[in-house]
Amino acid sequence: MTEVSETDRWMGRLNTVLLILAGVIVITPTVWMILSSFKFSHEVTAYPPKLFFTPTLANYATLSETTPFLHYGFNSIVVTASSTALGMLLGAPAAFVASWTRITWPAIVTLVARMAPGTLFLLPWYVMFRHAGMIGSYWSLILTHAVITMPIVIWVLLPFFDNIPRSVFEAAQVDGCSPFRIFRRIALPLVSSGLAVSAILAFVFSWNYFLFALVLSNSDTKTLIAASFNFIGEGSTNWGGLMAAATLIALPPLILATIVQRWLISGLTLGAVKG
Amino acid sequence: MSASTTTQKGPLAAQLAALSMPAVLFTVAMIAFPFCYTIWLSFQSISPTGMTRFEGVGNYVRMVGDDQFWNGIYVTAYLYLLSLFLQLVLGTALALLLFRAKKLPGIIRSLFISPFMMPPVVAGMMWLVILDPSLGAANYILTSLGLPPSAWLASPGFVVPTLALIDTWQWTPYVALIVLGGLQSLPPSVYEAAEIDGASRFRIFYRITLPLLLPTLVTATVLRSVDLLRFFDLIYITTQGGPANASTTLNIYGFRTGFEFFQLGYASALMVTLSVIVLGTVLVLNRLRNTVAW
Repeated sequence: MTEVSETDRWMGRLNTVLLILAGVIVITPTVWMILSSFKFSHEVTAYPPKLFFTPTLANYATLSETTPFLHYGFNSIVVTASSTALGMLLGAPAAFVASWTRITWPAIVTLVARMAPGTLFLLPWYVMFRHAGMIGSYWSLILTHAVITMPIVIWVLLPFFDNIPRSVFEAAQVDGCSPFRIFRRIALPLVSSGLAVSAILAFVFSWNYFLFALVLSNSDTKTLIAASFNFIGEGSTNWGGLMAAATLIALPPLILATIVQRWLISGLTLGAVKG
Repeated sequence: MSASTTTQKGPLAAQLAALSMPAVLFTVAMIAFPFCYTIWLSFQSISPTGMTRFEGVGNYVRMVGDDQFWNGIYVTAYLYLLSLFLQLVLGTALALLLFRAKKLPGIIRSLFISPFMMPPVVAGMMWLVILDPSLGAANYILTSLGLPPSAWLASPGFVVPTLALIDTWQWTPYVALIVLGGLQSLPPSVYEAAEIDGASRFRIFYRITLPLLLPTLVTATVLRSVDLLRFFDLIYITTQGGPANASTTLNIYGFRTGFEFFQLGYASALMVTLSVIVLGTVLVLNRLRNTVAW
């Protein structure tokens, strides 16, 4: 008996060691990016690479001088926030109706939209927006990014609406409430945490999305992600600046993802896995 | 009673329809119509100035004879299978480690979600610097260990494995958290019975855990397949499909055909083909999931 618990203890220790090792592998590249962003330009390309150095904020300070970083950042915020709001406005009532009527096609349609390659939609959008003279406008970016956000909102909210006992709706109906009122006054307040999770996930995915802005934005409406090419072009001579840009671009999604991590996996897997 | 429900039925249905109408209109305008439009475009020949001519199946005939198309299929399949294999094996191993650790502080969980929640584009920028052939940290580590340095993303022969490694770094924790969800939902009674019977750890895993986990693993495979078959962001930011088209997946090839060479008709045919491949793979895997369900 004692022999078994001894091996169990060793297995437990081995488990911890392997887990720490995995954690180190996972985090090291990111730590390296952040460290490099605080290095002076002659130190960031030093060979052999330096682990210890005098940190500087110079890369962050010069970022807005050497590139229109703040302008791109503003574009990213406009496009991401607007497409998240649009996705919520479209998706929340749709999820409510889908849950109420148990109709499954909205979920399936949005699933297909999630699976098709972005380029498939980008080709006709490009032709459509070119006809409408909308290429390079914020609206073309907001509308296309809502194709990313709306399905996320629907899929995240569906289980939240499904969890509301049907008797709540039935009682409200007996009292003469219309579906509009039930949605606004009863259902929405009951899924408030779902609304927060879906908004945050939609924001993260819209922020991270690369392809649509790559083609549909111009030098004035370019988002940070689409502007990454400029940073890489600059970065061939200035790694510190490149890593500072990368760190700042990664920051909003990483912070937001940490907030919703409890719902993250079930949200990302469209409810296929309970996280 | 029945009179009141029938009179209520009309406005009720109408109000529900009204609530979902914005989403329906948006879906038709931005998803369904473009989807059909691409299929139509794939049968057209469109000049860069916007002149359209019916081409029939010409674009698809051209595709069959196009070496670049087959190269795209090959690169897509190579990258897909290698990445999927690495992520499933490593993800399952990591999930078992996390499962045995029992209590998992939130900070550790945040650490493991950080790779796949950062923009793939940022991952690309980061790895470009780490994998730089002459000054990067990766080659420094290799040479310090007495191993030969690699050109990584600049090597035609090694670019696909390098991309697979970066993607595996980014997405293995995601697979692990999915598998962890599966492990946590398994009934503990089966383990207890096996332990009482004196089965070894390996036998328990191989004979009990793994078969019970199969549905979860297929789910993870579906989710990763959808992303891997459309692999784009990381490649476009690091190599743009190079060197010498060695990392030009079907998605990259279709994108470049459409937006660099402005052959919108042919690009549409390529994208319709890729979509059929993705949807077909998902349907096959869903079939598979039904056969391994318990």
